[in-house]
Amino acid sequence: MTKRTMILAMSMLAFGSAMAADPATINWAKIPAKKIQLFYPGQSSYEWLRSDAHKGAAKETARGDSCTSCHDASDEEVLQGRKILKGGHPLEPTAIAGKKNGNVDLHVQAAYDKKNAYLRFQWKTQNPYAGTEHQYLRFDGKEWKVWGYPKLDKVVQEGKQPGIYEDRMSIMIDDGKVAGFAKQGCWLTCHDGQRDMPKQFTKEEVAANPLLTAIKKGDVRKYLPDSRTDPSDWKTGKSVEEIAKLKAEGKFVDLIQWRAHRSYPVGMADDGYVLEFRLADAGKDMFGGNADSKTHQPKFMWDEKKVGFKSIRADSQARKGDLFLVREQNAVPFDPNADWKEGDMIPDYIVSREDAKGSAADNNAIANWNAGMWTVVIVRPLGLTNADDKMLKEGGVYNVGFATHDDNITTRGHFVSYVKTLGIGARTKADIKAVKLP
Amino acid sequence: MIRRLYSPGLVIILAAAVSMPLTATAQVDAAAAEKIFKENDCHKCHHETKAKKGPSLKKISAKYKEKKLDEKEAIKHMTSGKKVKLDDGTEEDHKIIDTKDVNVQTSVAKWMLSH
Repeated sequence: MTKRTMILAMSMLAFGSAMAADPATINWAKIPAKKIQLFYPGQSSYEWLRSDAHKGAAKETARGDSCTSCHDASDEEVLQGRKILKGGHPLEPTAIAGKKNGNVDLHVQAAYDKKNAYLRFQWKTQNPYAGTEHQYLRFDGKEWKVWGYPKLDKVVQEGKQPGIYEDRMSIMIDDGKVAGFAKQGCWLTCHDGQRDMPKQFTKEEVAANPLLTAIKKGDVRKYLPDSRTDPSDWKTGKSVEEIAKLKAEGKFVDLIQWRAHRSYPVGMADDGYVLEFRLADAGKDMFGGNADSKTHQPKFMWDEKKVGFKSIRADSQARKGDLFLVREQNAVPFDPNADWKEGDMIPDYIVSREDAKGSAADNNAIANWNAGMWTVVIVRPLGLTNADDKMLKEGGVYNVGFATHDDNITTRGHFVSYVKTLGIGARTKADIKAVKLP
Repeated sequence: MIRRLYSPGLVIILAAAVSMPLTATAQVDAAAAEKIFKENDCHKCHHETKAKKGPSLKKISAKYKEKKLDEKEAIKHMTSGKKVKLDDGTEEDHKIIDTKDVNVQTSVAKWMLSH
């Protein structure tokens, strides 16, 4: 049994009998697949789209026209992605080594039963391997420091660090309550000032920002226009009370992310939302940092008795397989007195299904990478009533945006879709129609 | 020492291809012209048959036929960046095509007017 098959089997055990359908045994061949084109957006922020640089479309975008009212060619995503990635395009200032194409074909299938929605995604990855590796803590002889960064980071661009980052499959969901999402989708959440975007925040700016300090955040991430008094300026956050009111009115988008390192090993996908920031749902995620905030040492290391090593090195053969540190499966508390040598490495994140709690632990997932392609099935319970979830229900039609990250990259280094609609047993038209399971 | 990248024969062929008037090629390469049209985002405003922000290619073509205009006028339009009047009464600078190659411009113009 390969490690990956084992993970699949363990995940299935974790799903248990409470689920109406086993996503691994659904006959997906009988469920129509919709090909959704994703493309590389570069730095096409909310602000850029409303600027004169978005030639002939600034006014139209500002008044709320849909992206596809202009971008409606049958090969639109191929066209836009290729242009942005070909080099010298103002929307992509960084030459990203290894990025082959500007677009990705994402095959989407959807099914549902009384308990869950099952969303199946397939796409060919940029690299000929599954991107299940994530950054490490590396002992430099004195201290444990992060080793491996996403490809867009300066340290990787300068060749000082290797590019290491997990693959991801993300979905944004709006139930019609977020103004503009049905027309402009994910682009509502992407702004100047964010990580790897133009005019990126400074630490001083963040430290001086009333909203970000109130919600205890140290950088700028996705946000919805409604959360700012000036939607084009991340610094103009509304008060915490005003934002709580927006949230209570459902004016946020759900963001589900399947993560090849931080959720895949425990058969889950994370559960978050975007309003004033990209936030995790209440409760506890299935992953957490493995570095002790005071000592900067790892909190856990591999259980040598179970996996044959307590750490790895950059040239370890083990790096060719899946390397997860799962608290309840293969981890033990870190031993600071072990004979650590320069170059020893331990994952920077610890993963646990048992520790995942509350609304953050709503979504299950199974996945498999084979012959260059990820197949991911996300299982989302219907009828969720948590304050930070969009409730999916039979008869509903939802505005959705899809994104894939692979090739050791994060932030803008993804492929995204124009907004689509997902119908769950709805009579009205939808781009993707979920099939009711018997 | 100058590195030779192309053989003299190839240079002659390429030069001939570049300088060859479009009329000599007889046919407009529709696929190539459409590709340039799309790469310049012309399709964002001009659909083949339906009105978008700008008139459809079908409408432009009909207007040119009626006024007995040809591709030279269309090239002027796509290279001068002059103001265009929109349906809502506002004016905007027309986008300038991102090529100075007259053959390519002519090819795109002919393809547009073939609708």
